[in-house]
Amino acid sequence: MNTKQLLKPTMKDIPQGRLGMWLLIAGEFVIFGGLMVSYLLYRMRYEQWAEMASHTNVILGAINTFVLLTSSYFVVKAHQAAQRKDSKKITMYISLTILCALIFLVVKITEYSQKLHHGFTFSGKELAASGKAIESSYWGFYFLMTGLHATHVVVGAIVLFIVMQGARKGKNYHRIEIAGLYWHMVDLIWIFLFPLLYIAH
Amino acid sequence: MDTHKKHGFWHRYFFSLDHKDIGFQYLLTAMFMAAFGGFFVYVFRYNLAFGPNDIPLYGDLAAKQYNQLVTNHGAIMIFWVGMPILLAVIGNFLIPIMIGTDDMAFPTLNKISYWVFLLSCFVLLAGFMMPTGAFGGGWTMYPPLSVSDFGYNNPNTTFWTNFFTGNTFFLLAVALEFISMLMGGINFVVTTLNKRAKGMSLMRLPLVVWMVNIANLLFMFSVGPLIAGAFMLLMDILVGTGFFDAYRGGDPILWQHLFWFFGHPEVYVLLLPSIGAVGEIISTFSRKPLFGYKMVILMVIIAAILSLVVWAHHQFVSGIDPGAANIFSLLTIIISIPFAGMVLSYLGTLWKGNIRFETPMLWALGMLATFTFFGGFTGLHLGSNVFDIYAHDTYFVIAHFHYTLFPTVFLGGFAAFYYWFPKFSGRMMNKTLGLIHFWGTFIFFNSIFIPLFWLGLQGQHRRIYNYSAWNDLLMQPEHIMARQIATVSLIFLLLFQFVFLFNFFYSIKKGKKASKNPWEANTLEWQTDSPPPHGNFDPYPVVQRWPYDYNHPEKELDYCPQSEI
Amino acid sequence: MNIFPESISQIGSEMDKLFWIITAVVGIATVITLFLFIYPIVTRKRNKTKEEMYMVGNSHGKRKWIYIGMILLFLGDMYILLKEHPIWESVEQTLPDPDFKIAIIGKQWMWNIIYPGPDGKLYTDDDIMAYNELHVPVNKVVHMDIKALDVVHSVFLPQARFKQDALPGRTITRWIKLNKTGEYDISCAEICGTGHSIMRGTMYVEDFNTWKKTMANIYKK
Ligand code: HEM
Ligand SMILES: [Cu+2]
Ligand SMILES: [Cu+2]
Repeated sequence: MNTKQLLKPTMKDIPQGRLGMWLLIAGEFVIFGGLMVSYLLYRMRYEQWAEMASHTNVILGAINTFVLLTSSYFVVKAHQAAQRKDSKKITMYISLTILCALIFLVVKITEYSQKLHHGFTFSGKELAASGKAIESSYWGFYFLMTGLHATHVVVGAIVLFIVMQGARKGKNYHRIEIAGLYWHMVDLIWIFLFPLLYIAH
Repeated sequence: MDTHKKHGFWHRYFFSLDHKDIGFQYLLTAMFMAAFGGFFVYVFRYNLAFGPNDIPLYGDLAAKQYNQLVTNHGAIMIFWVGMPILLAVIGNFLIPIMIGTDDMAFPTLNKISYWVFLLSCFVLLAGFMMPTGAFGGGWTMYPPLSVSDFGYNNPNTTFWTNFFTGNTFFLLAVALEFISMLMGGINFVVTTLNKRAKGMSLMRLPLVVWMVNIANLLFMFSVGPLIAGAFMLLMDILVGTGFFDAYRGGDPILWQHLFWFFGHPEVYVLLLPSIGAVGEIISTFSRKPLFGYKMVILMVIIAAILSLVVWAHHQFVSGIDPGAANIFSLLTIIISIPFAGMVLSYLGTLWKGNIRFETPMLWALGMLATFTFFGGFTGLHLGSNVFDIYAHDTYFVIAHFHYTLFPTVFLGGFAAFYYWFPKFSGRMMNKTLGLIHFWGTFIFFNSIFIPLFWLGLQGQHRRIYNYSAWNDLLMQPEHIMARQIATVSLIFLLLFQFVFLFNFFYSIKKGKKASKNPWEANTLEWQTDSPPPHGNFDPYPVVQRWPYDYNHPEKELDYCPQSEI
Repeated sequence: MNIFPESISQIGSEMDKLFWIITAVVGIATVITLFLFIYPIVTRKRNKTKEEMYMVGNSHGKRKWIYIGMILLFLGDMYILLKEHPIWESVEQTLPDPDFKIAIIGKQWMWNIIYPGPDGKLYTDDDIMAYNELHVPVNKVVHMDIKALDVVHSVFLPQARFKQDALPGRTITRWIKLNKTGEYDISCAEICGTGHSIMRGTMYVEDFNTWKKTMANIYKK
């Protein structure tokens, strides 16, 4: 080793991928935080919104919560496997996680089609036309927040798929952990959204 | 010297992952955007002084275009000039060499963030080509005005007609710019935490590195709610949701909160890197340690935290609870105190110094003086909720925030530019031209905005195309005269920038060769070649001391580089 | 050359005075800071020893002048707050009993003024609407219900030093009491679209008898 490499500046107290992911997660939380606080302010102002919240499907929401929690468990397992550099187990657990993501999305789509069927649309035009103008923004929040979250689920699943490919080739095991952190965030955000949107009072 | 082979133009400007090249790309892009911001301000100021017809280089100006130019001037100067220069250029170029490392923690992410930034520039400019014209509702984008012709309000529109509008493009451009700066910010913070040279403890970091990082963290924590708000506003425009529609379960004031929760910290995000660079420069050219280094950092952190809780001073008359306004007024006025500590530290650095009047030092002193005397002190006037009732949305506010932003972005930016130019180009800038540029900019900058303070106190409100309806109040000879002084000064100010452009392109090719350390400064970037080779250091430096050992009693020279034992 | 346009209310004059108080505080701070700027520049060529120059400021004792400066500014700040607070309270946080009530409604790009009509009550059938012309009696407390129809506007009465945003879907009540008769401006201080710069109304402050006649005329129409 020459002197240049000896002095190479790397302070690996915290691996930099993990540090970067933490910052990204913090940023994401402020974004969702902004949405949730806005929603809460309106929700407290307009009593009519509680009635709208009762139209959400708590059972499907609860199923999805369960699905996501399970998926987080699989991610933890995958991380443990990654520490042992066990490519087979990693592939299995990540595949299970992605399966959970797919279930989540299917349930989500079912829910959306139910809502649209009842005339609860994103823009709320139908509700406004039927004289329930104030209520219409509730569905704006519902679709915006859950939709944004679902986008994160999709992105997270893709990222997991990519790092899984790496692990199968026996490369970049540490990326499992970082992608896993992201997945936990997606899960955690849902844990906040579920009571906010689904539980009426 | 450079052991790597020289890369071609395409490589350097399109594919390079080197932090210095990316910094340079940001710089050129920001200068390009500044040309737009400057041209717009010329057009609309010309209109205010000499009427809307036959504006040289432009033609006739209509009221709608006036609003579009004002809006885009403001947005460009803040998001596409201030942010890239002060965060991205300073951060990219300086952080790795100042902490003694080879590159960013995530070079590819760095590259992507530049490309997203470039895309956001094009999206913004494309807004001018939309059938509805560019967005003209003020850079603050207050709804319902920013939605009023679209979405729910206009049943004749569809998603796609709403999409191809100046409003949508403006919002998308701002959102892309935020995403780019967020990616850049994560990169800077991780780089600073993880890639410091041996011996570079946090308390040995140069001030400007501290400041860029605090600015980035502040940005990351304040911009989230606005990104959320931008999604909501975008949906109001595109699909007709009612997030900000008072008649459909929304509230226009919510946008104002989301916007200013970001908007106030944003000016600190711009200020901190700039004032950090000024600190480096003042210390170097006073040949003295930066006085109270740790206290300055502490004060800046306090100010940054306070800046998150003062936002409603932009809304004293917008219909918020008057009781709450008292608290915001108190906090706003209190925020002057950490800043006083910081400015006094800088003045303590000057005190008894062997001041060298090199070009960067003049810019730095000019920045500190105008920022403090006019920007900071008129902030006390506006922080007082009572006086703000009158001054809000008048030219007093315009003059106030230009006295904070112009010194921050341009005076501080040029200070940094003249200071680090030898390092990134390997050549010195011409000093005479630099001085001409400084005095031309400094004098005319003041003579633009001092008349605007007075006009504001006279009751001249902002974003007005033409004051002919206010004949008695605002169209007396002295008002017209004040407007003309401001506009003529502006034209001179813009002309003096050509001196800079000439100096820049001339010096980069033909300037005197710069040594490693032309200013005899201590920080690590001056210990490597000018310009630094790919990889910056060979071998990597080991840091032995803090960066401000000027005139150390035990040393022979009046400076002592950080890597010297 | 005057600094402010003429002031037509008691409160307005107090606000002008506040401006000068703040300016005085700031002025003192400016003089001190300016000295700290100029003195080192003037004396930059004097010989100093390295011990003198190596000032690090790493203990509270050495930073005492900075603390003193901060404390002085703090006192100045508190003085400003002390002076401004009573004015804010009377402008924004109290609502003296009205002698007369009107509603002022911003709309792209004009001011709709609603007078209570002969019954003296707002929002009844006999209300009268006028455009861009506001008649108010001098030396009387006038309540204004401020709102907007389409986008955000802002009622700005420069000579009365009065400003309040007008919001769609919300009514904000503020008061004025003016002490000079004459014709004054109503500006819109919040950008509201292409016509923002033509959105001007006129406020006529009239002595009580003239005002009564004007009102009678308006109601006749
Ligand atoms: C080159 C010198 C500059 C001049 C003469 C200038 C002049 C002006 C004027 C007169 C206005 C108000 C127009 C109106 O309300 O009708 C304005 C607006 C504004 N300027 Fe500048 N400006 C300059 C540089 C800057 C810089 C460096 C920044 C920020 C970094 C900046 C940010 C803004 C913003 C945010 C607005 C508000 C836009 C709005 O009302 O939506 N300007 N400028
Ligand atoms: Cu602010
Ligand atoms: Cu208006």
